[in-house]
Parts: sequence; C-alpha cells; structure tokens
Amino acid sequence: MTHALKIWVAVIAITAACGPAGAASIDLGRIFGAGKDLATAAGGMDEKDEIAVGREVAGRTLGAAPLVPDPELQSYVNRVGRWVASQTERPDLPWHFGVIDSPALNAFAAPGGYVLITRGLYEILDSEAQLAGVLGHEIGHIVRRHHITVMQKSAAVSAGVQLAQVRDRGALASNLIGTGAEVFARGLDKSAEFEADQIGVVLAARAGYNPYGLIEVLHKLAARGAEDASLALLFKTHPHPNERLQQLGDALTPRVGALPSGGMEPAIRAVSAGVSPPAAVKPVAVEGARALQEEAAAPPLKPAGKGGFGIDPGGVLRGIFGR
Amino acid sequence: MRKALLSIRLTLLVVLSAAASAFAQQVTLERDSPLYAEPRLDAPQVTQLKQGATGEVVAKQGGWLNLKTPGGAGWLFSFNVRFPAQKAEGSESGTGSALGRVFSPRRPASVTSTIGIRGLDEEDLKHANFNAGQMKLLDGFVASKQAAEERARTTGLAPATVEYLDAKK
Repeated sequence: MTHALKIWVAVIAITAACGPAGAASIDLGRIFGAGKDLATAAGGMDEKDEIAVGREVAGRTLGAAPLVPDPELQSYVNRVGRWVASQTERPDLPWHFGVIDSPALNAFAAPGGYVLITRGLYEILDSEAQLAGVLGHEIGHIVRRHHITVMQKSAAVSAGVQLAQVRDRGALASNLIGTGAEVFARGLDKSAEFEADQIGVVLAARAGYNPYGLIEVLHKLAARGAEDASLALLFKTHPHPNERLQQLGDALTPRVGALPSGGMEPAIRAVSAGVSPPAAVKPVAVEGARALQEEAAAPPLKPAGKGGFGIDPGGVLRGIFGR
Repeated sequence: MRKALLSIRLTLLVVLSAAASAFAQQVTLERDSPLYAEPRLDAPQVTQLKQGATGEVVAKQGGWLNLKTPGGAGWLFSFNVRFPAQKAEGSESGTGSALGRVFSPRRPASVTSTIGIRGLDEEDLKHANFNAGQMKLLDGFVASKQAAEERARTTGLAPATVEYLDAKK
C-alpha cells in the first residue's frame, strides 16, 4: 500500500491541472490494485510518504503564493518554528517554515513538517510568543497526523461515491485529493482544530514562551471576524474563534496550574523595510455574514462535478482558521 | 449580589501596564465567570460576574485580564471575555485598535486592510502548479535543530516540561 501511495504521489506531481471531466467510471481498487482503497493506503502511510505528500502540497501552495522575498525573515521564522517543533515527539521531521506573500490571514500545515503562514497573518502578530502559538497549532496538526485521518475519512466517502467522470488516472488522483479537500473544507472534524489549539498552547509553553500567545491571536480574529470579508469566508469552513476560545478555556481551566505562569514574549521580527506589500490583492464578492451563519450547518459533500475538484492544497493542508 | 451584577456598566480610567498609556477598554463577558483576587484559579474569588456583564481592562498577565467592576477589582481568565468588534478598516495591528492596546503592540501598525480582498483563495490553490524554484528557496531557509536551539538560548528561552492537555494521567 505504501507503494501505491508513492505512485499516487508521483501521478499528482505530473498532473499539473485537472482536466475537464470525462466519462469513464473507475473505482479506487483499480488504481491501488489488489482491493486496496485509499483509506487502506492512507492508513499505511509511513513517514516518507507523509513527507512526499506534504512536499507536493507545499510546492503547489508556493505556486499560488510565493515566499515573501525577505531571507532574514524566512530564516527567523524557521529558527522559531524549528525550536517549537523540537518540543514535540517528532523533532526530527524535515521541518520547513515559510512566510508566503499573501494579504489573507491564514496559516497552513501539510504532512511531514511543512508549515506556511501568510504575510497577512504574520503582520497582525505582536510578539514571538504569538508566532510560536500559531506555528505550534500547525505543528500540532502534523505531529498528530490529522491529515492522514482526514484522508482516510475522505477516501471512505470517495469509495462510496465510486468516483466517476474522470478522464484518466492522473485526473482521478487529483480528484481523490480534491475529494479529501471537500471533506476537509466542510469542517468535519472540528475536534482536530481544537486539539491543535491545545497543542499550540502547550508547545509554546514548552519552548519557553508565554503560553497564551495563541489565545491572543484568537481574540484578535474573533474581534475582527464578522466584518472582515476574507475571514468570514474562512470561518465558514472552520470553527469560529469564539468557539475555539471556549473549547480552549474548557480544556485549560482544569490544567492551568500545569502551565508555566511566566514565559517570554520576545519582540517579533518585522518584515524588512523595502519589501513590497503583497501583490495578490483582488476584489471579492462579499458573502461574509451569510457564510458565517452557515458555518454550523455545513452543506453536504458534493460529488465531483464537471471539471472535478482539482488539486486543492488548501484542503489537504490544515489551516489555523482557514485553508 | 448576582442580580446586582446582571448589568454592569463601568467608566473607569485605567492604565495599561505594558503600553503605559491611559485608556479605557471595555470587555463583555461571554459566560458567567468568577473574578479572582489574583491571577490564579485557586485564588479567593472577589465576585461572580454574569454573562453579558462588562468591565474595564486594567492590565493583562498571561491568560489573565485584570478587570475593574463595581463588585471590585480582580482577575478574569481571558477565555471568558469578548472584545468589541474592530472596524476592519485602515491599519489596525496596534495602536489604533482596542485589542492591540490590550495586547500591547511591540511595533507600529503596518497592515493594510484586508476587507474586500482575499489574497489566496480556493481557486488559486486549485489551479496552482508545483513551484520547484520556490521549494528550493524554502529548503534553503531550513534551520537545523542545533541552530534553532542556539538561537533560543541566546534569546533566553528556557524549555519547560509541560504535558499535553489531553495526556493520560
């Protein structure tokens, strides 16, 4: 099954874009052979597979938004992130951290140790403790292999749907990831987000920071949420920051004595002067308030329509409050 | 006492320790919460605040906010409050926002508004191609475990032993 996944990874790597829908009906077993479905395959992913999938997803994300051209900033974020990741039970993954050039407020984790944070989010952070909390949340997704769980779940759904309308195996592979993305995007497991929040707090504390940086960030998001179009859209797919704060409060209250009362709050490094603001700025039709209301009632999973789902790294990625 | 606290309205001039500037910051309680004499859950309770009550923030410490209320001053675990919604216009990361003041900005605001834009959307991600050049750059910025440790040490960060909150006891 590991072998099958490697083929799958290789296939998505050469499938640049998902083409229009064809008519063939292919079941998962035919792709993975010998009755293996993706759920089985995902369950058997080893660390090398995780890293390969994560690398593919990270590379695609960078294709959508490149790194902020500020080498000092990137090195800084890697040193902070690696230090936080060193406090986990998976300290020796090939941890990569990057600030990507987008005004959106978001952060992503991909399997195997890839963490990307948008410049938009980075620039609302006030301290390195807050950065550590945000990175800690993403690191939590990776350490606990949340992606793999979701791939298994989504594969189970896909198997039921008997993915149709694909032109070739490459497109099918794309559709598999895309289907996973759909499942991800519907916020089927809020519990993974809550768990990552708890881990973010703990990892920041372990790394010597004020443990409450992530909570401060959630307060910031909660305060700006409803009026902010881009965030409202993201809230649609993830628990609202207020809900996350409540969950975190419930989890922390009985254990607060175990958290260090102090912890450092070093200044955060600013983006170097002279680096232009993010270029990717475009108008968007605002459906914010509505999207927010719909958060609780996630729409049902849609089977692949014309054109398929395509590869959606944002779906396979775990975001801090978006994808 | 609880009835008396159902609707608390305060206007107190307060000073934020970190920013060292005078301001009044009102917060609203999301749910009934005790107000403690000190920022510890085992500290004596000053009073019990009801959901919807408001108070003025004096300072913060860790996850705690120091509040002033008619029932007395005390410490509140900050999960239980909501800050007023910010206007998502103009710069906002620091000095201009209520939240920025409470959470003591360390640098001037430099963020442009993101209202009406979304920089990295679903379609962008769906149609993006693997960028090998950018991945090479990303690889180049990787920090070794040792380099990260060294940097933490010079910053003064001391690792602490803290169990995961969901750890089995």
